[in-house]
Amino acid sequence: MNERMIYAKILFAITLCAGVTVAIMQGFIAIADAKNQGVFARTSLAREALPQIVKEPHDLVIFYGSSMTRAGFSPRLFDRKLNEMGKNVKSFNYGFGGLNPYFQDFLSRRIKDEFVANDKKLKLAMIEFNPFQTTQTRWQGAKPVVDSFLSMLASDAELFEIAKQDITRGTLLFNIRYIRNNISSEIITSSFGRGIFPPYRWRQFEDTEEVQQARREIGRKLGEFFEKDYPDLNYQDWMYEWQGAGTIPEERSEETLTAFEEYYDLNQTDAQMKNDRLSRIRSADIEELNFEPLLVESFIQIVKNFQQFSDKVEVIMLPRNTKWITNTPEGKKRLADAVKQIEQATGITIRDHQHLDIIDPTMFSDTTHLARYRGDVPYTEYLVEQYANDL
Amino acid sequence: MIFNTPIFFWFFLIFMIFYGLVFVKQKAKVYLVIVASLVFYGAWNYAFIPLLVGSAVADYFIAQAIGNSDSQQHKKRWVTLSLVINLGILATFKYADFVLVSVADLLSVFGYHASIDTLGWVLPVGISFYTFQSLSYTIDVYRGDMKPRKGLLEFVAALSFFPQLVAGPILRARHILPQMHAISLPKWDAVKHGFLLITVGLLKKTGADLLAIPAQKAFEAHENLSTLEIWTGVLAFAGQIYGDFSGYTDMAIGIALLLGFSIPLNFRVPYFAVSPVDFWRRWHISLSSWLKDYLYISLGGNRNNHRTRNVFITMLLGGLWHGAAWTFVAWGAFHGLIITLTHYLAGLKVFAAFNSGNNKLITMVKWAATFYLILIGWVFFRATDITSAIEILSAMHSFTNDAELGRHAMAIFIMTSVWVLLVHIMDFYVIKGADKLEKKPWLFWFLIILIQSICIMVGEPSNEFIYFQF
Repeated sequence: MNERMIYAKILFAITLCAGVTVAIMQGFIAIADAKNQGVFARTSLAREALPQIVKEPHDLVIFYGSSMTRAGFSPRLFDRKLNEMGKNVKSFNYGFGGLNPYFQDFLSRRIKDEFVANDKKLKLAMIEFNPFQTTQTRWQGAKPVVDSFLSMLASDAELFEIAKQDITRGTLLFNIRYIRNNISSEIITSSFGRGIFPPYRWRQFEDTEEVQQARREIGRKLGEFFEKDYPDLNYQDWMYEWQGAGTIPEERSEETLTAFEEYYDLNQTDAQMKNDRLSRIRSADIEELNFEPLLVESFIQIVKNFQQFSDKVEVIMLPRNTKWITNTPEGKKRLADAVKQIEQATGITIRDHQHLDIIDPTMFSDTTHLARYRGDVPYTEYLVEQYANDL
Repeated sequence: MIFNTPIFFWFFLIFMIFYGLVFVKQKAKVYLVIVASLVFYGAWNYAFIPLLVGSAVADYFIAQAIGNSDSQQHKKRWVTLSLVINLGILATFKYADFVLVSVADLLSVFGYHASIDTLGWVLPVGISFYTFQSLSYTIDVYRGDMKPRKGLLEFVAALSFFPQLVAGPILRARHILPQMHAISLPKWDAVKHGFLLITVGLLKKTGADLLAIPAQKAFEAHENLSTLEIWTGVLAFAGQIYGDFSGYTDMAIGIALLLGFSIPLNFRVPYFAVSPVDFWRRWHISLSSWLKDYLYISLGGNRNNHRTRNVFITMLLGGLWHGAAWTFVAWGAFHGLIITLTHYLAGLKVFAAFNSGNNKLITMVKWAATFYLILIGWVFFRATDITSAIEILSAMHSFTNDAELGRHAMAIFIMTSVWVLLVHIMDFYVIKGADKLEKKPWLFWFLIILIQSICIMVGEPSNEFIYFQF
């Protein structure tokens, strides 16, 4: 065999191995449906909705934030109230659980790109500053998904900038985007890891067996009621017709609403709330609030991005379940410093809705999120009162 | 740029197109190897390329000078210069801060609180490997074990040869230079073996990264762990460092085979060793043989009743080679101690039958004792400091540890143990019987693709190889 022939054979073997390997991997990712799971699905659906949003004839409002925004803001209710006042408004819920400000920054750039490209402006951008999404603990916990989110949310030019700084990392990210369908190996490893060894949940406190049984029963019932109330619904994590949020009371039957009341009562037992609090401390440092500087900087960048295509930008801290979550004195000091830093950098005064009179601890579904119907309705009505004049 | 990253794949693919299809002449291939190796090295930090090239150029001319010297005294001067340059570079970049901090600590013991500024320089990747490799050339020429070779570019290409540049194996000039002088055409059987080694290396690296999780838990948060979890962590680290390092060298050897080069084996199923001496014949063979040939023998070896001292110094410096920290010194000293103890016990009449016995039970006892001692050694190697090492060792041997057993602790322990064992069985098979598998093409390529697919799916290319830091 001549020299070129043997090297051609080696090159053929390398490319064939690589090609088949990539094909197997693509097949696996497709079968596992990894792209359509949880926050990945919600983020990509919300991003895919942008071209349709910018074509809306209404004055546009986006509430941008974390899972607290997702749970606490009802765009359809917000719009209805404002439409009744004669305002031509359409709002969207862009709240994402698990999407910390670093990732939100990249998504906000894509929103900006879409609005700027279509010469469109937001009438109002409400941006949630969520202190516990901005902690070092949260950042550490997000490490496994950094590459996937970056390859999904960054533009080619941004990835190229990363590659210029670090060619190895840049190539890796391009590889994840174009060869791995945005699914990094870390995502697969951690997903398998969770399957084999489910993460330890804080279960230091236990309800009685009867309460647990009743909770399981009501959960099952709610599932059935959902099927009944929405028989033909093809549910997705972010739905245009629901404007990115969940259901509204008007669409639900009486028995569903009664079941929800029962559900929340059963979920607000001392044991449940104590466990949830411990879980938040462990996963988000919710009381001490040791901020991650990178995330604070990213949050400032989010605000600046929105300022470029919005008539008005508001930064809001959402209602907090003060019965269960209390910041330590050091935590309060750190929060005050972070707020000051953001206000100085953006020129916007943060609206503190953490201690609103209209919200009480029974309106939460856990230690942090406003409960559907019980919590999101009064809070959305409060927002209508606050911002009607600006719209 | 590490082997299991996409950038290396593209780099290697482009390199192979030029190496195999464009440049077919020997000289052109050498140029290409140099350029590719410098690009490969520069991907970490281009600033250190002059150091690598400078080291190679200096040793090339020093070796020529030794070869041209008539008197032993002149030769000695030249080899001393080579030692000063290479060890000086190593000392400056790797050990200067360690010495400065240690001096400050020592002074503070005597009540002097000296304010000493450390250099804080970045450690050039692979510096310990290429300085030792380069030194072996001048020492071999000085000893008359080889004649200085003509061809500066070939020497630079050999020293910077990218498959082994950053984490070994540490090649001897007499092994690699003739290959670089006449680059041979790879044989298809060797190519297949290369593919097998690359795949096995990738699998070992992937497993090592997964083992890093329990290992990290045991070494960085051992306070609340049960005895079983600490043992799991130490065992996991044993598996991690083996998988990581031997995986890298397997890939290096495999890549070299695709280019027509042969690189000797660096690991021979080390955890199957039946004595500490046997372990060092199987673990990082290129380093242990380097230390034996250039340090232990230079110190006098077994002669003049100084074996114990020489073993101890060799192991101590071998430990220090791995990193500028007291934990590595302690690891080296521990191995010096257990090797000396093995020598001592071997000399006792009461152990004579035990040592010469071929009984399976005796072999098992020897293996268990050796493996236990190796694990103890890894505690020093991996611990963040000596105090933590002692705490971990104490927790490993505590029977009154009342820490609650974590969920899945037993499952993780079993999986870790099985993985370490399976990797060794796989390696044993690759060394002894790979040719049988390579003769069954369908099964061979099926396994290659299957294993690579799994590794690429779950392997995390962001995890660097542990040995890069040495």
